[in-house]
Amino acid sequence: MRVVRVEGNQAIIGLSPQPWMFADDDCEEICTSILYSLADSACGLAVFAEAQELTPIATLDLRMDYLRPAAGDRDLLAVATCLHLTEEIAFIHCDILSNGDSQPVATGSGTFVRNTDGQRFQAAAGEK
Amino acid sequence: MTTIVNSAKPYSELTQSSDESTVYQTFLARIPYARHLGLDIPKDPAGIVVRLPFHEALIGNFMLPALHGGVLGALIEITARIAAQSEDGKARCPRILDSNINYLRSAQAKHTFASAEIIRQGRRTSLVQVTCWQDEKSRPITTGRVQLLFATTDINS
Repeated sequence: MRVVRVEGNQAIIGLSPQPWMFADDDCEEICTSILYSLADSACGLAVFAEAQELTPIATLDLRMDYLRPAAGDRDLLAVATCLHLTEEIAFIHCDILSNGDSQPVATGSGTFVRNTDGQRFQAAAGEK
Repeated sequence: MTTIVNSAKPYSELTQSSDESTVYQTFLARIPYARHLGLDIPKDPAGIVVRLPFHEALIGNFMLPALHGGVLGALIEITARIAAQSEDGKARCPRILDSNINYLRSAQAKHTFASAEIIRQGRRTSLVQVTCWQDEKSRPITTGRVQLLFATTDINS
């Protein structure tokens, strides 16, 4: 995974598929769980992008819809956008795009809790 | 003991002639990503349990340390997939349509277990609930619901 861009309320992460990411020995389709992990990472990064700080967060829930198969020979991009941010919660939407397709291969929406164990951390580190 | 991993037998025959954990193991062995994660099915008298052995690469948060949420998503999706496949009369390989995962507790740096409950097994779709835990099953760390679709025609034919 590589960070492509973090700007405003958006984070974009890219991934080049490898054979160990495939869903089955018989086909070169990327396992949905890889898309899931990619979305989880991109969503988390979008929380940091919008919040402009690196206090710890935790995924509360993440829901993915796998719209179409993701080909194993095309790079993936996860585009995560923070829809709303409060002191405690962040709502994120994520599209996963397969290089060459105009429509996403998967979409997801996640809810994150902010500042989990964060105060403890910061107190320990003596920051802020 | 015979292990059937690269058997020429059709799945339908496999599901009739083998115990359930062997069937799960067979389906698991076909998934490159499951092999990459090292998923296995330890013998458990309480039923079928899929185990995600802990290794350093699975850490998502080095400060806590905690497992990456995406890896738990993978454990849930793969467990749901092989549970739905072994429940199917023809052992068809299902596609995952969607998954909805809730994180209940922080996942510590240790082995994680998952078990599946089929909520509904239909001719075309299957809805599977998966629970993950580390120390005690009564303290789940993650739960997920996965919707799967079976091809109405055999993709291998």
